[in-house]
Amino acid sequence: MTRTDEELVARAQGGDIESFNQLIVRWERPIYALAYRVIGKEEDARDVCQDAFLRAYRALPGFKGQAKFSSWLYRIALNLCRDWIRRQRRAPVSQLPEDADAIELASEKGPVESIEDLVARRELSAIVEEAMSELSEEQRTAIILKEYHGMTFQEIADMQGCPLSTVKTRLYQGLSLLRRRLEQQGQLMPELVKRT
Amino acid sequence: MNEIFQCGDSGALVAYLYDECSPGEYAVIAAHIKGCVACASEIDALSATRRTLASWTPPDLALGFQLTRSDVGPAKILEPKIAWWRGPLPAWAQAAAALVIFAAGLSVGTLRTGSTGQIAETPSAASVPVESRTSATTASRDDLAQLEKRLRTEFGQLRSTPTATPVPARGSDDALMRQVTTLIEESAAQERRGFTERMLNMADLIERQRRVDMAQIGNSMGQFRGATRDELRQQNEAFNEALRRLVSDSAR
Repeated sequence: MTRTDEELVARAQGGDIESFNQLIVRWERPIYALAYRVIGKEEDARDVCQDAFLRAYRALPGFKGQAKFSSWLYRIALNLCRDWIRRQRRAPVSQLPEDADAIELASEKGPVESIEDLVARRELSAIVEEAMSELSEEQRTAIILKEYHGMTFQEIADMQGCPLSTVKTRLYQGLSLLRRRLEQQGQLMPELVKRT
Repeated sequence: MNEIFQCGDSGALVAYLYDECSPGEYAVIAAHIKGCVACASEIDALSATRRTLASWTPPDLALGFQLTRSDVGPAKILEPKIAWWRGPLPAWAQAAAALVIFAAGLSVGTLRTGSTGQIAETPSAASVPVESRTSATTASRDDLAQLEKRLRTEFGQLRSTPTATPVPARGSDDALMRQVTTLIEESAAQERRGFTERMLNMADLIERQRRVDMAQIGNSMGQFRGATRDELRQQNEAFNEALRRLVSDSAR
């Protein structure tokens, strides 16, 4: 039987580590993906992810369910990412991509993808990562939360502690900068299906 | 946002782009876009940017985090209540249980003591009488001979009856071959992709290392230049100072 986050949280608050471990299994990938995209380093993202769960567990007695567990967890992870960026005192995502996922992705997509496609996709991923690194931290975080985690404007505003209009501005400006950068590199994906 | 859209309103365009506006607002903006080339191209370009962003994927690492009691510390955890009979026994109870078992073993004669108090020899093959050993051997040989006979009969019957194993048809052979061929091709393709992946990783590593090296060389050169400049400045100052002293001494 699959338990909801709320049920697992309640059990974990009673000291059941296994319930919390189930929450970890459920959320470790999204939290890792968030950390990786924000800070851009595999190992550091892994550390941030691990730390986020540890802090979440320690703060669990104080979690009263006023927000979704996932939102609360995202906020913890995001704060840790910010701390990491401050510690680094430099623009994050400045390195070349360390991603090694292409082969897994290729296998997920089936054996039809050619080597050329694989190489092209990997190159594109690297270009996007580099372009994202040039955005401000706020713009990048807003875009990551919206594009890759499907949050609403309001959720992002709560997460970033800013008005909803600021979130829209950050998204618009961030996307516009990315667009220019990707256009310069000739990497903007053409429209696949014409809008009706 | 109200349902009056001003051309170029970035907030409204973003809300339209992410479909986070009311149906009324959506309809208003959609109608505007149909007639406004600038807004239409803006939306197209932002949509294309979003599609491109989808290609950025984080590494698919095996994470497998697990929280253990040592991670969280003993004070934070409430021990779950376990019924007394399910919990581990205390050491004294375990020792008592062991003693009881040992005593029971003694009483059933696992070890037999003689009247002198010496430990008696346990029965072994050497202590068994010769007659009984011989009879046991004879009996087992008979049994084996019977068993062999029975098995021979059964094998003979099996050989004479046609085999029940279905012979695969020619068609299934072809299908099997096709499957094997497909598997081999997939494996080869995967191998090629793996090789490409390794090559790309290697290229990445080399490029990263090159950048790090270049940055270090740049830093070293900067430090060297800085040091040289400082030294030159100090030498110039010392030379000027010596010159000034010389001039003032000669003037005196």
